[in-house]
Amino acid sequence: MTSIHRRTVLAGTAALLGTAARAQGVKPRLTAISQWSAGSDGAAITALGKKFEERGGVWQHSPVPGFTTDMMNKLRAQIMAGDPPACSQLKGPEIAAWSKIAPTVDLSETVAAAGYEKVVSPDLARLHKPGGKWAALPLQVYRTNAVYLSKRAMDKAKADKIPVTWDDFNVLAEKMKAGGVANPIANGGTRPDDGQKFEAALVGISPAAYRAAIMNLDAKALNGPEIKAAFAQTRKIADWMDPNTAAQHFSTNLARFIAGDMGIMIQGGWAQGVLLNAGFKLDDFIIAPGPTNNGKPVFLLNADAFIFWQRKEPDLIAGQKLMAELVMDPAIQTMYSQITGSIPVRSDVDLSGPGWSDGQRETASTLKGAIAANQAVLSLAHNMAQENGMTAAMIDVITEFVKNSKITPEQATTRLAEAVEGAR
Amino acid sequence: MRRIAEYVTIWVPLLLSAGHVVLFTAWTTWMSFTPSTLMPVSGWVGWRNYTAVLGTRNWSIAFDNLLLFGAGFVVLTALTGLGLAILLDQRIRGENVLRSVFLYPMAVSFVVTGTVWSWLLNPGMGVQKLVNGWGWTGFRFDWLIDRDMAIWTVVIAGIWQASGFAMALFLAGLRSVEGDLIKAAQIDGAGPIRLYTRVILPSLWPIAVAVFVILLQFAIKTFDLVRALTGGGPGLATQLPALVVYDFMFQRGHIGRGSAAAVLMLLTLLGVLLPYGAWKLYRQRRAARA
Repeated sequence: MTSIHRRTVLAGTAALLGTAARAQGVKPRLTAISQWSAGSDGAAITALGKKFEERGGVWQHSPVPGFTTDMMNKLRAQIMAGDPPACSQLKGPEIAAWSKIAPTVDLSETVAAAGYEKVVSPDLARLHKPGGKWAALPLQVYRTNAVYLSKRAMDKAKADKIPVTWDDFNVLAEKMKAGGVANPIANGGTRPDDGQKFEAALVGISPAAYRAAIMNLDAKALNGPEIKAAFAQTRKIADWMDPNTAAQHFSTNLARFIAGDMGIMIQGGWAQGVLLNAGFKLDDFIIAPGPTNNGKPVFLLNADAFIFWQRKEPDLIAGQKLMAELVMDPAIQTMYSQITGSIPVRSDVDLSGPGWSDGQRETASTLKGAIAANQAVLSLAHNMAQENGMTAAMIDVITEFVKNSKITPEQATTRLAEAVEGAR
Repeated sequence: MRRIAEYVTIWVPLLLSAGHVVLFTAWTTWMSFTPSTLMPVSGWVGWRNYTAVLGTRNWSIAFDNLLLFGAGFVVLTALTGLGLAILLDQRIRGENVLRSVFLYPMAVSFVVTGTVWSWLLNPGMGVQKLVNGWGWTGFRFDWLIDRDMAIWTVVIAGIWQASGFAMALFLAGLRSVEGDLIKAAQIDGAGPIRLYTRVILPSLWPIAVAVFVILLQFAIKTFDLVRALTGGGPGLATQLPALVVYDFMFQRGHIGRGSAAAVLMLLTLLGVLLPYGAWKLYRQRRAARA
């Protein structure tokens, strides 16, 4: 009796999910490219592929390891050859830019059927529907202004309070310095690292100024006092860094961070995965929201997404529909985020279960609070706020500022505004 | 019949490779005048891409660095190579082993060289830390993180990589100096230093010029070494033209500007190669007349 019952349920589910394609007798197939080949990213997309196969699909994923740009070069070559993948990784404003050079699938109906738009933050939704039509689907969300506190450095500073505002943050860093923490800020030396310090500073000082200057490129806001204040805060952060980091990846210094030789790390949610992967325990560090001067939560959004390219083959079309349904599915988003350490795109996923960490729960609730306060904004350093050309021009100014203490916040503000004009 | 076979074996590959070089150069040059961004498109924007590239800080920093790096790398690598070659030329034991040792860095890719030197030169874990640990705590060697000196770390790594190659060429040159000439000089009473400065080295000029030209084109197209060693930093301090080209084309999604930067690089190369070609022609003419 039970087994028959289970079979009925299974058959019912299959009928529901198998979609129209199954009715036409086509086996859904998906050609996909992404840069996710190894580590937790590789594991997550492999797990997604397994789910795709479980639902009767043929999964053809070709990872392009390396930088995102390497993946983009493959995508460019395939589009030029008239043979785009059915689906590829792409994110932020690049979705709109790339959707102009090759036709994309209009996913609006599938998205509406799933009732997805209600559970996605509006700024994020906008990025994925160039021209009002859904062409891409976000897969997972990361916060880029998370604050990681080393427990041992906190002990050295005799501090137990998590900083809320930038003033608190600065006091804590000074206490750490006085308590014998060699470098209160743990950092890497790459361009996005430098960009993240500035964007975290600005969004904490004024989310409204961030939105106007960084997201909308408003000339007046770009020359405003908030930008100067953000550069001044970035200078403080830079002075607390270890200058010897040079161009190293942030993960090089994790051991020193945990040992309390470095105190605070401003990093994305992925750092949790990297720390755990390196064998450190959740007890070794505290994950806290980014500093916010107005007391309400601020959240810098970074989201990975899939864009769907138009294909004529019925099996690929069926595969795209199945993939879209999977990516929007709360169970799939749960599975994916639990592997990578991100949080689900859907705001209605329950994170109280055992597969989630406190850091992920806090991140999700901060995102909810930030959206409610209209203080969830798109990350500049991780190519969410602007197209790559504009982002690179702005990061040029920020990275030079971080590495050169002779540049004043006033000069940096002028240079940033000039860089924006030059790249428009 | 045999002549046809000869023509085919020579001309087909030659035309194919020439076609590759010429066609792609022409294509890139054409792209540099189009408004291409993510994808190549046709259209005409005149010199706009060039003025945009020449107006960026990245390009001006990259070009200044190219002058510093090019001069430093070429001169110092050639001198190091020459020094090694002269020392190896003293009919010493184990010459073959030493020659292989000095040539070996050439077999290592620039990425590996860059990464290893980025550890050696890092003040927090490399040479400075070692010397500090020996007790000389005031010792500073932090060029890697010093904006003004960082480009010289690229020179250091470049010398390590390429001086063995210069050595091999110079050594071949030294060995090809006629024995009679050396004997005659020795009979005339020339000491070892005079022998080198007056007799052997002057006859090495053609090889020296070849070494210079090869090293210079190395310098102009240097990309992976900087990327692995400094990532173009601190800040933008070690940008080089090849990095700017890559950055525009693939990172910023601006094929037009990237192509313009690539054409500017080609012009720099021509600035080196054309005088070299002219010099060779001049020598040939003179040799024919003599």
